[in-house]
Amino acid sequence: MNDARALNGRDHLIGAALCIGYLLLLFGTASDLAMSRDESFYVHAAKNAANWISQLFADPSSALKQDSIDRAWRYNWEHPAWMKLSFAWSWLAQKHLDLFPNESLAFRFPGMLTAALLLWLIYAWGASVMRREGALFAALAFASMPRVFYHSHLACFDIPIAFFVTLTAYAYWRSLADRRWVPWLGLIFGLALATKHNSWILPGIFLIHFLWLRRDQARSGQSERASIAWLPSMLLLGPLVLIGTWPWLWHDTGRRLLAYASFHLRHVHYTYEYLGINYFEPPLPISVPFVMTLLTVSLTVLALCLLGLYDRRAELRPPWLTKPRTRNDRRTEVLWFGCLLAPLFVIALPSTPIFGGTKHWITSYPFLALFAGLGLVALVERAEVSSWMGRRWPTWAFAALCLLPAALQTAHSHPFGLSHYTPLAGGVPGAADLGMNRQFWGFTSGSLVDWIAERLPDGGSVWTCDTTHGSWAMMQRDGLIPSNIRAEASMSAADLVLVHHEAHFAEVDYQAWVAFGSVQPVYVLQYDGVPIISVYENPARPER
Amino acid sequence: MAEAGRNLGLAAWVWVLIAALAVFELVAHPMIREATPSDESWNAAAAFVRAQYQPSDRIVGAPAWLDPIVRNRLGDLLSLRMAAPPDAAGIDRLWELSIRGAGSRDEPPALEEEFDGVHVRMWSLPGDALIYDFVEEISGAKVELVVADRSKACPWVAARQAPGGLERGPMTPRERFVCDPRRPWLWVGATVVADLELQPRRCIWQHPAGPDPVRAIFTDVPLGDRLLIRGAIDYQTERRRAHSPVTLRVWINDQLAAELVHEDGDGWSGLEIDTAELPREPAIVRFETTADDPDSRLFCWSASSVRSRRSEGGSDE
Repeated sequence: MNDARALNGRDHLIGAALCIGYLLLLFGTASDLAMSRDESFYVHAAKNAANWISQLFADPSSALKQDSIDRAWRYNWEHPAWMKLSFAWSWLAQKHLDLFPNESLAFRFPGMLTAALLLWLIYAWGASVMRREGALFAALAFASMPRVFYHSHLACFDIPIAFFVTLTAYAYWRSLADRRWVPWLGLIFGLALATKHNSWILPGIFLIHFLWLRRDQARSGQSERASIAWLPSMLLLGPLVLIGTWPWLWHDTGRRLLAYASFHLRHVHYTYEYLGINYFEPPLPISVPFVMTLLTVSLTVLALCLLGLYDRRAELRPPWLTKPRTRNDRRTEVLWFGCLLAPLFVIALPSTPIFGGTKHWITSYPFLALFAGLGLVALVERAEVSSWMGRRWPTWAFAALCLLPAALQTAHSHPFGLSHYTPLAGGVPGAADLGMNRQFWGFTSGSLVDWIAERLPDGGSVWTCDTTHGSWAMMQRDGLIPSNIRAEASMSAADLVLVHHEAHFAEVDYQAWVAFGSVQPVYVLQYDGVPIISVYENPARPER
Repeated sequence: MAEAGRNLGLAAWVWVLIAALAVFELVAHPMIREATPSDESWNAAAAFVRAQYQPSDRIVGAPAWLDPIVRNRLGDLLSLRMAAPPDAAGIDRLWELSIRGAGSRDEPPALEEEFDGVHVRMWSLPGDALIYDFVEEISGAKVELVVADRSKACPWVAARQAPGGLERGPMTPRERFVCDPRRPWLWVGATVVADLELQPRRCIWQHPAGPDPVRAIFTDVPLGDRLLIRGAIDYQTERRRAHSPVTLRVWINDQLAAELVHEDGDGWSGLEIDTAELPREPAIVRFETTADDPDSRLFCWSASSVRSRRSEGGSDE
């Protein structure tokens, strides 16, 4: 592993190709996914923000008054503003320039862009320290994780925070060798803070890495040691960017910051099914993030990641257990290892509120992919794959073989990304046997729109279960569902009732039985033979 | 040199292992998908069951997550009691449609058939004969709310149903006894509750109002050998194990016959009352629910008057 290789034009060409290619792929597949529950909340918040931005241009003094800010920013105050502002700007661009084919894509574009840029970043960082094959493999391995692919479509914060966490780690790494990166680090960390609270752990990870590095440098007697200038930059500029980009904090700053922190430290516990048990209060088993990763990421990629870790094991040993190092490097492996493990450990802590979904530790997956890239490079080098035939294609063929399962699984996972499990779990039915969470957020209703439109040719009403009415309205604005098929608040008054199959939604299934006096769904949306949504029809509805 | 050769050999083996993992994933993924039964298989299996169905049959899927698919094909044959059985009374046969080698029972079935991936099995069950299902008879009962030693009749009305949704509790039936419109939870009627194991249970919602009882009185009840009494609190509140117990008292002809004290965590539980020695005339059976603190006591109970098959003179032999 190099300490750092300067990237050339060819590297950035590859990075740009990854970025643009992924963006186009996400564009082409987004309409298959109904807006998820949380997206609908962020869309509402983004519209409020967009209105406030418009007011800011039209009447700045009025927009900056506390009541205007509070009116615009009170909704969804528990999440910082950066991505909501991005969604708002994108929507404003859509309103004025009609850039996107539909409204949901306008809101989703900023999130998709961060997913695409993240591939570029993974490739660029990887190519700085390893062979291009490994870097390219890492970027593609990340892109072809089924759940990453799903989340990459969304107007949410999970892929954006994965991008900003990785970018912050990269900026920190660069700042250790080049002080010109120090202010950039502070600004980028600020954007990470302004995206999602996953970023809070970054200074801790960097500090451990830095102390490790300094101890290493001290033992090897190096006169030029890494500067800690990065830390004040992060601690000063980061909060300034957070507050500066979040108008909600411009008044009553201290109290609102405390409320924000408190909200997430004492977060409500989600109900989450794991290995046949429906958890609704801590502690969630420590194994959750590890087992979920094992069952949702391609086994081949995971094996290469473990191989990469094994190959770099000497670099991961603490300084006091190794001989003083002669060469000066930044202990990149230690930094990556910290960024890989910390999000998993945070979720695994018994005191952590129950979240469950892989999205909550998705920030570790870029580093998982980078170690997989390292593993691939180590393997082809040690097995001397290229030398067998005197050509490079066997290396590429092996890389392609290792990526193919993930790519095929990802293709098959769409549009059921959160329901997908790998063959190690026995696929989707195997995971159902194991009692694993099948879905959340109600986005799978997008797979029913054609069936519903056909069933209600003259319009009607649908009780939408976990799909919010905001999501439904977005599908109507996107032209996916006819405008005369409305979302109905009362089950018994609806023509059709949807039940999203998640263990704790069983009660909703039973409610539908009583509401309609029948236990027979007229349709069951399935994924690999596993029920995803049951649809009940109101018997009072006239026969077609 | 020798060590370098060994390392190369080991690396080559690891290379083969990783390639084998990739091949495993590539092969396993379509194999799992291929194992999913086709619509034709499901149709054939459902037609087979439908042709032999009797009203006292229960039909389930195995594994349990398959149930919506089974109900999609055969749900029109299932009453709410058969889909959400409060007890085993009245179930003469059990049909199971299973895939992937799953099964709900170990005993050998009376009948077995395979439909290209969908396995059908049927068992004859030596259960009790159901002679009176209190849940299905609730509309004919008399319900009253006791306040300060005076009882107030609760009218049977057609009322607006609950909107439904997560953590909204069991669905209100369209017709029910409404005891106090200001307390919308104070109604009595037949519904389906999700018990602590998230299993559906057909039952009578009778939320206690406090220490004073809510009463449901059934007249002309045919008594058999036993009364099977079951009850539970709705899953969303019982799982928190945070509230006071609910007491269900059962009176037969004004004699206290049994008292079921349900505590959070008990799940779907109950007791049996031996009625074999009671006179064979129709009886008056009264059910009273009370709780020191009625907060979040979403209590639902069922009762079945049953006769043992043995006392029917071997009718099932």
